[in-house]
Amino acid sequence: MGNEAIARGAIEAGVRVAASYPGTPASEIMETLALAAPKLGFHAEWSTNEKVAFEVAAGAAITGVRALTSMKNAGLNWTMDMFMTLVYGGVRGGFVIAVADDPDAHYSSNEQDTRFAAFYGEIPCLEPADQQEAKDMTRYAFELSEQLELPVMIRSATRLSHASGDVELGKIQKLDRKPVFDKHWKMPYRWNVYGPPGPVEKHKWLHSRIPLSKKAVEKLPWNKLEMKGRPKLGIIASGLGASYARDAVRRLGLEGKIAFLKVGAPTPLPEQLVGRLLKAVNTVFIVEEGDPLVELQVKVLAKDINPKVKVSGKLTGVLPPVGEINTDIVGDALAKLAGVRSRTDKARELARTKVSKLVAPRSSTLCAGCQHLGSYWALKQVLRKLGGSVPIVNGDIGCYEQGGYGIFSKSMKPSFSSISVRYLIDSPYETLDTNYIMGAGLGLMQGEFHAGYKDGAIVAVAGDSTFFHACIPAVINAVHNKAKGVFLVMDNSWTAMTGHQPNPGTGVTATGQPTKTLYIEDIAKACGVEYVKVVDPFDLKATQAALEDAMKTDGFAVVIARRVCTLQAQRQKKFVGKKIVVNPEKCTSCKLCVSLGCPAVVFKDKKGGIDTILCNGCGMCVQVCPTGALSAGE
Amino acid sequence: MEVNLIVAGVGGQGSVLASHIVAMAAIKEGLRARVGETFGAAMRGGAVASHVRLGKKIYSPLVSKDGADLVLALEPLEGIRNSVRYLRKGGLLLTNTRAWSPTDVNIGLAEYPNMKTIEGALKKLGGRAVGIDATSLAQKAGNVRAMNVVMLGALARTGKLPVSVNSIKQVVQENVPKGTEEINLRAFELGLKAIRQG
Repeated sequence: MGNEAIARGAIEAGVRVAASYPGTPASEIMETLALAAPKLGFHAEWSTNEKVAFEVAAGAAITGVRALTSMKNAGLNWTMDMFMTLVYGGVRGGFVIAVADDPDAHYSSNEQDTRFAAFYGEIPCLEPADQQEAKDMTRYAFELSEQLELPVMIRSATRLSHASGDVELGKIQKLDRKPVFDKHWKMPYRWNVYGPPGPVEKHKWLHSRIPLSKKAVEKLPWNKLEMKGRPKLGIIASGLGASYARDAVRRLGLEGKIAFLKVGAPTPLPEQLVGRLLKAVNTVFIVEEGDPLVELQVKVLAKDINPKVKVSGKLTGVLPPVGEINTDIVGDALAKLAGVRSRTDKARELARTKVSKLVAPRSSTLCAGCQHLGSYWALKQVLRKLGGSVPIVNGDIGCYEQGGYGIFSKSMKPSFSSISVRYLIDSPYETLDTNYIMGAGLGLMQGEFHAGYKDGAIVAVAGDSTFFHACIPAVINAVHNKAKGVFLVMDNSWTAMTGHQPNPGTGVTATGQPTKTLYIEDIAKACGVEYVKVVDPFDLKATQAALEDAMKTDGFAVVIARRVCTLQAQRQKKFVGKKIVVNPEKCTSCKLCVSLGCPAVVFKDKKGGIDTILCNGCGMCVQVCPTGALSAGE
Repeated sequence: MEVNLIVAGVGGQGSVLASHIVAMAAIKEGLRARVGETFGAAMRGGAVASHVRLGKKIYSPLVSKDGADLVLALEPLEGIRNSVRYLRKGGLLLTNTRAWSPTDVNIGLAEYPNMKTIEGALKKLGGRAVGIDATSLAQKAGNVRAMNVVMLGALARTGKLPVSVNSIKQVVQENVPKGTEEINLRAFELGLKAIRQG
């Protein structure tokens, strides 16, 4: 796996401190490091958020040891304050920032291209094209970082991070460096940006590194220029783009007929190599995953080197500016540019359109017996009773965000109403009205309150890991600025969506060491919240009652629905459910059981039923069924 | 020589492990392998597809449109979903016949295609569908979760992989959870016997 390869590269480089916050598709970098850390004797941690992780790793690098921080695309945004400032003094030990982007937003709320952050922060970015390069480049990134005294970014993407391939391993370096501290190391007040000579001089120092970065990327072993004579067409490709482009070139039989430059770094570019290609060709096709970073730079270079060359890529519409690319998309574009025929079979396309209609969509759902289903059920009942005409439920990032994924087979039309509009919540997957990023729901809730929204109740939901990551300042803000609303924390004691990593509420560290368990109710109370209640979401009535009380409270109320993630409880054999007995004669086909949204509840021949393979016997559907058609057995 | 395979299923069925087993068996026999996983939310119950590419010169981790020689489906709806996009003319869909009905069907907003419909659809696309009740066979082997291994047994029997039955069997043994080797071996054998060769 690409993520494992990045971790292996760090291990081979002798990493001493690694810190991260989970986020798909990057999580396995730290999961792998955490597995190896106890044996190899380095520190690996899940930090409370990416900014903290970044600072933990940066602190280690300042003392001269090698450090890595990893995160998903959106995670990098949390680090930007420190990121943009750390670069003014750089680092002493190798510091690698490994980021996994997610073009096509498979697991993310946006498609941002984080390579631009490297450009913005004036540090080099290496972009692997496959798993072998992911390992080798990460290892080298530590050396480059020490050579330049700057952080170095490794940019991965879903199709690399979450893809696997054969990798030849290298030797594990044993560095045994003693951490040292010298506050004026090579520059006065090196680690204190305000210390004289101050930020502007330190910015000047950062600029002085650019020629060194450029020189280094020119010699990368992962650059490869293949060019015979003076071909009309050339490709410049980076990272995964190079892998897609190679497959496309081969499929179209263009091997040896066009120039091909694979660059190991999208920023800064190996300008001399790019220049050699630009001088030779009439048209250059830029293939890169994400936004046109390489393309923009090549355009600038072409202006001086060969103004006649046509630069084609995402800016010219040859490649789509959104979504991810693949061999088909690159192949079609390349066929057009090269003037060769691409293969389309019209009859087959017609058959495909017909057959596609038979394929039912598969909406994303919570797991069978997931406690969030209970929380959403209770919330729905309470909003019906006390939510006013148009309540607002502000969502957040975690498993429970599926409460806003909708039902794929339902198509919604845009509304142009000038007044608030109520939409019925049919399934739990239609509950969330807003959803953006970690911790945003609670902030939005406060803005809606201060705006004077009166058409319905205002609610925010978040999970336990999100609470620790991003909600604590917003809780304090709500208390301090006297916001009103209900904050429902769905606490399953794990960072579940990204693959069950521990968090401060779990009681274990990344490497499995027992540690102090923090309780959200303690933190909420310490922040000054007066209404704080903890309930078991499997108990629908109790959860409903707590939410009702919270809504009646004149102030800011926190309800914590706590139960260990069902999957974890099953894995640890801490939960044994009951057999759910179905009595079809009592079923009146009201479909309330179906509206619970549990994937183990099925509806066949107009009767509710249970998929016994999926069911874990939590008994929530029994509480929902009004006629006793579902009951709990042994 | 290049073989492209898609292993499709629903999150939690073991399609990712199944795809890795095929890839590791190929590496064992001296080939290069790439596996690209695609799934929506990182969750149980979602549609999952692993793209497996075996050969000497492969770069992209994804199979191209109409580029799969085989689709191995642990769930029929996911089998047809991936066949529509990826299965080449003359390709084979090998599917478990046990449906995992999506919420969209449960709430009456969509219809689940039956096996006959799927077979007909595959014919229209110029491919072929073969179904086996792998879930029942896994239960017979001792654990319903060994369903993915039943399907691997059936896949090995098709003779369409550039990898021997024994290599796959061996990699299965090395990669299933400790203590479940016997159940998985039985599941593999039941899968082997479930279809005829070719």
